[in-house]
Amino acid sequence: MAQVADQAQKFVGGGILRKEDPELLTGAARFIDDMSIPGMLWVSFVRSPFAHATINSVDTSRAASMPGVRAVYSGADLADEWADGLPCAWPVTEDIKTPKHWPIAQDKARFAGDAVAVVVAETRPQALDAAETVDVDYEPLDVVVDMEAALADGATKVHDEFENNSSYVWNLDVGEVEQVFNDAAVVVKERYYHPRLIPNAIEPRGVICQPNPAQGEYTLYSATQIPHILKVTLALTLGLPEQKLRVVAPDVGGGFGSKLNVYAEEATCLALGRKLGVPLKWIETRSEGYLATIHGRDVIQDMEVAADENGKIAGVRANLLADMGAYLQLVTPGIPILGAFLYHGVYDAQAYSFTCTGVFTNKTPTDAYRGAGRPEATYAVERIMDALARRVGKDPVEIRRLNFLAPFDEAREVVTGLSFDSGNYDASLDKALDMFGYDDLRAEQQRRREAGDTKQLGIGVSTYIEMCGLAPSQVLASLRYVAGGWEAATIRCHPTGKVTVITGTSPHGQGHVTAWSQIVADELGVDFEDIEVLHGDTAISPLGMDSYGSRSLSVGGVALHYAAEKVVTKARTIAAHELEVSEEDLEYSGGTFSVKGAPDKSKTIPEIAFSAWTAHNLPEGTEPGLEETHVFDPPNFTFPSGAHLCAVEVDTETGMTNIVKYVAVDDCGKAINPTIIEGQVHGGIAQGIAEAMYEEAVYDENGVLMTSSMSNYRVPSAAELPTFEIDRTETPSTTNPLGVKGIGEAGTIASPPAVVNATIDALAPLGIDHIDMPVSPERVWAAIKNAGGSTVDARGAETTGAGSGTGSADAPGGGT
Amino acid sequence: MEVLQPTSWGEALAAKEEHPGAVPLAGGTDLLVELNFDRRRPETIIDLTRVAELNEWSHVNGGVRLGAGVDYTRVIAELASELPGLAIASRTVGSPQIRNRGTVGGNLGTSSPAGDALPPLVASGARIELAATSGTRVVPVEEFCIAPKRNVLAPDELIAAIHMPVATGPQQFSKIGTRNAMVIAVASFALTLDPPARSVGTGIGSAGPVPLRATEAERFLEGVLDEEGLWDSRGQLSEGAVARFGQLASEASRPIDDVRGSAAYRRHSLGVMAGRTLAWAWDEYRGTL
Amino acid sequence: MRRISLTVNGVKHDAMVEPRQLLVYFLREQLALTGTNVGCDTSTCGACTILVNGKSAKSCTLLAVQADGAEVTTIEGLASNGEMHPLQKAFHESHGLQCGYCTPGMIMASVDLIANNDAMSDEDIRMGLEGNLCRCTGYQNIVKSVQQAAGEMRSPAST
Repeated sequence: MAQVADQAQKFVGGGILRKEDPELLTGAARFIDDMSIPGMLWVSFVRSPFAHATINSVDTSRAASMPGVRAVYSGADLADEWADGLPCAWPVTEDIKTPKHWPIAQDKARFAGDAVAVVVAETRPQALDAAETVDVDYEPLDVVVDMEAALADGATKVHDEFENNSSYVWNLDVGEVEQVFNDAAVVVKERYYHPRLIPNAIEPRGVICQPNPAQGEYTLYSATQIPHILKVTLALTLGLPEQKLRVVAPDVGGGFGSKLNVYAEEATCLALGRKLGVPLKWIETRSEGYLATIHGRDVIQDMEVAADENGKIAGVRANLLADMGAYLQLVTPGIPILGAFLYHGVYDAQAYSFTCTGVFTNKTPTDAYRGAGRPEATYAVERIMDALARRVGKDPVEIRRLNFLAPFDEAREVVTGLSFDSGNYDASLDKALDMFGYDDLRAEQQRRREAGDTKQLGIGVSTYIEMCGLAPSQVLASLRYVAGGWEAATIRCHPTGKVTVITGTSPHGQGHVTAWSQIVADELGVDFEDIEVLHGDTAISPLGMDSYGSRSLSVGGVALHYAAEKVVTKARTIAAHELEVSEEDLEYSGGTFSVKGAPDKSKTIPEIAFSAWTAHNLPEGTEPGLEETHVFDPPNFTFPSGAHLCAVEVDTETGMTNIVKYVAVDDCGKAINPTIIEGQVHGGIAQGIAEAMYEEAVYDENGVLMTSSMSNYRVPSAAELPTFEIDRTETPSTTNPLGVKGIGEAGTIASPPAVVNATIDALAPLGIDHIDMPVSPERVWAAIKNAGGSTVDARGAETTGAGSGTGSADAPGGGT
Repeated sequence: MEVLQPTSWGEALAAKEEHPGAVPLAGGTDLLVELNFDRRRPETIIDLTRVAELNEWSHVNGGVRLGAGVDYTRVIAELASELPGLAIASRTVGSPQIRNRGTVGGNLGTSSPAGDALPPLVASGARIELAATSGTRVVPVEEFCIAPKRNVLAPDELIAAIHMPVATGPQQFSKIGTRNAMVIAVASFALTLDPPARSVGTGIGSAGPVPLRATEAERFLEGVLDEEGLWDSRGQLSEGAVARFGQLASEASRPIDDVRGSAAYRRHSLGVMAGRTLAWAWDEYRGTL
Repeated sequence: MRRISLTVNGVKHDAMVEPRQLLVYFLREQLALTGTNVGCDTSTCGACTILVNGKSAKSCTLLAVQADGAEVTTIEGLASNGEMHPLQKAFHESHGLQCGYCTPGMIMASVDLIANNDAMSDEDIRMGLEGNLCRCTGYQNIVKSVQQAAGEMRSPAST
């Protein structure tokens, strides 16, 4: 089962099978909708069909008389429940405009889906039925959907209290930017758009509030990534004593950032629990979630690079418009800033400029979606590298090698002032090129070009970097984030030799229970199976900052390492006392202290845990028990990187694009569990390909979401995705003693430019140098048509390959 | 809401007569989504899945009489040689779970212009058998659908069966979606070659208010095949003829812009699909596929 | 309310249901078989896939009353005598799941897929699972899991 790394590391580095799986495989898992509490009522929200409207009145009388209905409230009815609006924890500038965001809208609805009333009934269908009968008198207002239109003079304002729709302008300038661009032999400028994305964790959101009125206590169960942050922020939003609130994340079915928020439904269910004193449950329907759960991306980038005539980069300049949607959710304004320092990628530059304007529109708020800010940066950098390569007549690989930062294994400062922890960008690219068969594919591409094949081949390169392990708390302070970036871990060694680990991370598919067990098993020499990992309940794990931003291992895992060190330190004192030697005379390996020169005299951690529990014979000043907590505040970010290569086949008649080969070589530092890493990379690439080729939330001019359900928002299935060939290089991080960097978002960050660069590369002979994501068949066809391509007219197919029999436009279906 | 569950065709028709507003339920793949979204709240649903007669197909007058309740999985498994165009189209419907329950009759009942099964029915000149307690009538498929999601079914009628001729030559179906799987067609095209009758049939999906025929394309191709004696010689079809066929098919469409695709792209892709399906079908006829 | 009688995972149930109740909610809320998950409202995601009379079906496309008299199998009924089904085992060993929410539906769809198809290529499996969405795995290890289980289920039981 486990690939044994070395004697001391029996588990770390091995592809250990997951402890989490049995309940998930047998239907025994407990997701939020699987839970119920006796006497529980159901909550349903009434949502505005208008993207922008004044709420003249809300008549709840008919709904209140519906069968089973216990209560109906408008926003005004609940106004007194709030000590404050829903929180935005990242006001990125001093003068940012942060609108009040009431959980239930009071004066106006500002996006289609904004909650305007809430119904409580005895059953789920009763709540849904009654919600339809709430009579809201809306006065529709002009709508702003497009960011540039929203910023134009005289545009309709999303929030009347502000002078315009600009929430903030955030800027970072380093070096003589103007001069570098003026002096450059080559300047390339392009405009990119990141589609608005709907995260689509397969489990919809849901909340259960269980009040204990006699004690004034509340337990809130939520399908969330952030139980700890929820507890603090909801206590503030509701004016609830924090010590009376317990938040539990049960089994959570995926997040990708969509459950990294403090939502109106969570606050409302808690308020209703306080008001009514009974347990309540709300479960989102998928189509409701498309409106009420945060979206991602929706960013326009003007990207520029200055270089010499060989393509050696001197400066970069990025100017962004980022769509906030109608309100600022938990970290909405900060998302573009998570990429702000990475617009030079893995390349050298002397001058750097980044500006982002956050824009209000009448759309669902945006916030963190897998990658958050870094896919945007990587896409702009890797697209412009290809554009630069075309301009100076170089191969995409060559232009990257020319500009790579040279390998470094000690932290080095880069143009933005950040310190990259370690990196070897050539190594991952070399390995990827080798796996890909780059030269052979280029030869095949040339052959098809010369033959004028209907199906052209394109090759895309993406050598990405990201920053993870968010973050040193002081750095977060300087970026005006209102919380810290630390993480906590506790190790409790039981007298029976078993171990309980308590983590502040909150996994929802990432396999922390397994990976954390591996770390502790090796460090304390206890069996992997003898370790229980507890998480996701603020009553059990009081200290934590939860899971997002690829932070769990590089912060939470490292906290665990330090907690284990503390356990060993205390155990060493006890062992020395029991063995009647000095601590210096003890050697520690694989969970056993042995006396130097007398290895038969030894004590194991479980033995010491027992004596620490009996406390019959402890050294003076040593407290009974063997339990340690460590809170780790990382000294720096980590900077995972890697090389992704993609080959696509573009049908120049239909515009259909298919990935024919995808290779990824990622460097996430030291590996704790290569199998889990592989899974993270696969899933990440799939989500990136989804952005590049399939997914886009589309609004009409009235602010109505056209891609309103899973049937027309195109989450790819297995049938759309290729088999990925993946491998790793290992350049240990210098930020932490485990040498780990993080892998949760790498695939999503790296893959979109690989796919889009490949698609453009396939069509480059037609003079095509740009197609927006998603590169849908129609977009590709339109690009070919606009380029005056020769293939716009219908003509017979040249390809009659073996029929897949699926009735595609690709191959004939076989009748028999 | 009431759900009636007749177990015989007679009971089903009697139920429909008694409840003319009742909505028939076959595979449930369209109706239950509508119930979910509360777009429809019928007082009565007639569950037809227990009517054994609907779940059978048979040979009638040299053709196939396909019971309206036969699911797509069975069409693929049992009728691939007799109704190849319909079988190919059936493979592109939904997903295995949906094909296990969804039916050609249900696709007709919904009458969406994007219904995947409809273009092959049009291309092969299917006739739809409609029944009421008062009697039965047979309507050509092209007359059955009259507008998006509207058809000629009278309030007391149910779809009994689909009548289709057994294939005498190659049939093809092609569909362009925005992805491979579970996709609602952006446009689709079905082609039937009938060598004994020297005739060509076409069906266009998702590019008009109802499934359409490309009549001019059919006449053009029949003309070329006759004039050049290609039915008998099984000779090569000129690239120009294939292109012209595609162009005429494209011109026969009446598409609109919607969230799935623009009218321009639909028109264009129909031309490509018509050309390709013809090339595939003709290669098959020549025995060179 | 309507009375229905059906067999779920080998156990006979008689129950009263609302005519409009979907089968998936009957299983989850009345029989407390919460392993079958709901991920959408458009019959798209496949998380609610079960077997009805041995064939895979999305339990959101059936009314509970339609299952009257049927044999239903859900994820809870797959293991036997405490032994995981080869698909459950394969998903574990090939890391075919992460958050696990789509997993019951994915496995139930795979049961039908393997039963109705002989030797499948990876591409066949991908097409065969087109009705089941997963957001975590990128599907690669799901395909691997199904391939592993298919091999195991076809080869004579090892001793």
